[in-house]
Amino acid sequence: MPDLSPALRKSLNLIHNFAERESKARYKRSVLGWFWSFVNPLTTVVVYGFVFGVVFDTPPPPTGSGRAQNFGLYLFCGLITWSLFTGVVNGCMGWLAGVSDLRKKVYFPTETALLGGAVSNGIQTSLEALVLVSIMVAFRNISWTVVFLLLALILAIVFALGLGFIVAVSNARYRDVQYLVGVVLNVGFFLVPIVYPLELVPEHTRGIPTRLLVEWNPPALFVEIARDGAYFLQVPSITKLLVATAWSGAAFTVGWVYFRARSMEISEEP
Amino acid sequence: MTVGEIVVSGVSKRFQLERNRPSSLKEAIIRMGRRTDADDFWVLRDIDLQIEPGSCVGLIGHNGSGKSTLLRLIAGIHRPTVGTITAEGRLAALLELGSGFHPDLTGRENVYLNGAMLGLGRKEMSSAMDEIIEFSGIGEFIDEPVKIYSSGMYVRLGFAVSVNVSPEILLVDEVIAVGDEEFQKRCMAHIDRLRSEGVTIVLVTHNSQLVRQMCDSAAWLDHGRILEMGDPNRVVPAYLDHVESRGDNTLTTRD
Repeated sequence: MPDLSPALRKSLNLIHNFAERESKARYKRSVLGWFWSFVNPLTTVVVYGFVFGVVFDTPPPPTGSGRAQNFGLYLFCGLITWSLFTGVVNGCMGWLAGVSDLRKKVYFPTETALLGGAVSNGIQTSLEALVLVSIMVAFRNISWTVVFLLLALILAIVFALGLGFIVAVSNARYRDVQYLVGVVLNVGFFLVPIVYPLELVPEHTRGIPTRLLVEWNPPALFVEIARDGAYFLQVPSITKLLVATAWSGAAFTVGWVYFRARSMEISEEP
Repeated sequence: MTVGEIVVSGVSKRFQLERNRPSSLKEAIIRMGRRTDADDFWVLRDIDLQIEPGSCVGLIGHNGSGKSTLLRLIAGIHRPTVGTITAEGRLAALLELGSGFHPDLTGRENVYLNGAMLGLGRKEMSSAMDEIIEFSGIGEFIDEPVKIYSSGMYVRLGFAVSVNVSPEILLVDEVIAVGDEEFQKRCMAHIDRLRSEGVTIVLVTHNSQLVRQMCDSAAWLDHGRILEMGDPNRVVPAYLDHVESRGDNTLTTRD
């Protein structure tokens, strides 16, 4: 990397170190190791698939190819995006807390710990996505539009980092933040059309434009883009793509600026 | 600025006192960001310091005089409340036990992480690794997590890293005292060698003998201000006299 500035090289090197550490630490002392990263999403899909597909008997919307109409797969596309999003937002608080003692003893750009963690989560999710794509291939429900799944995951990670920067710094000061985030994400899960199709949401509920809120909130957009690409095999609407990109860009910028302004205070927290 | 130069100009540092800080979000909201002067504690006041490249400066003063805070500011760990600090060049700092070690990582992983923080890549660290292991005398423990290390091992590894990464500025805060006699001797020899190679060194210590031996100049801090600065053979005795006259000599090596 001869052309990069020393500061950028240093940051990339640190991100590499933190990402590697996070990945190594994840399945330390476990025999099956990375195998667990497939078990978790698969069980979630089976459980939700059972509840909604069998107990409630909700028929999933037809897939793009007309084959493999399966509620579990419909859920998988949504869940993979959603759990990447929540994993990074929650992770940011932990990653920052994990290096705060270190940061009191030596200077380094603190954001690299969060970026490294996000890289590690991204790699983990790519493996899950590979499982999803393999299943889709097996069911012969696959098309080039699957690149939109990748795009959705990238947008989700960038957006999550923006939020993560903010909550991580706030959490360093007030531990209430982590509990608050937990509650908000719990509620958020049901504001995103993951376990239900968007079409079931009424336009208005007691004067609140419910449909609008559910359709255009950022995680919902990422989920829809992922599902368009991997499940419906269609190109997401341009408006959707633009709005989602705008959300991600704005969140990341705001989070970054806030983090850079406040991160020097971390070494002064008791 | 030339490499190895440190310029501290008009620096003051304020910390907020913990007991006066809101401890929960609720309390913070109730206060709505209001704060009083009583919340603040000024650790350093109007510090001006120019350290030439290749010189060795000793910081002396009673406990709580602000020596360590000044070192941390130079290391970039804290940001000054007022004023500016510039330190040009690769800076290695030995501030306390296990400076910059992550407890869960092995010694080797920590060496890489430390290298990354100093701006050194994997290759550069790999080539320095043998020398680091040799100097620290850690041996096979290098592949064990550092949380099982003894305090002596911590310090030895930390010191081995920071002197083997060819620093241009070295900050040392009283850590060497932890190692055994033999290690202390090696450290001194090493610091001496770095000094002769033109590395800028800032040393915080209560060992006044050391300051006179090693340092080109000494700065005496008292309650966050520099009382005197210059030739160690003048400043150190002045400081010791002051300590004697206060009858508070428990913290000083008397010679």
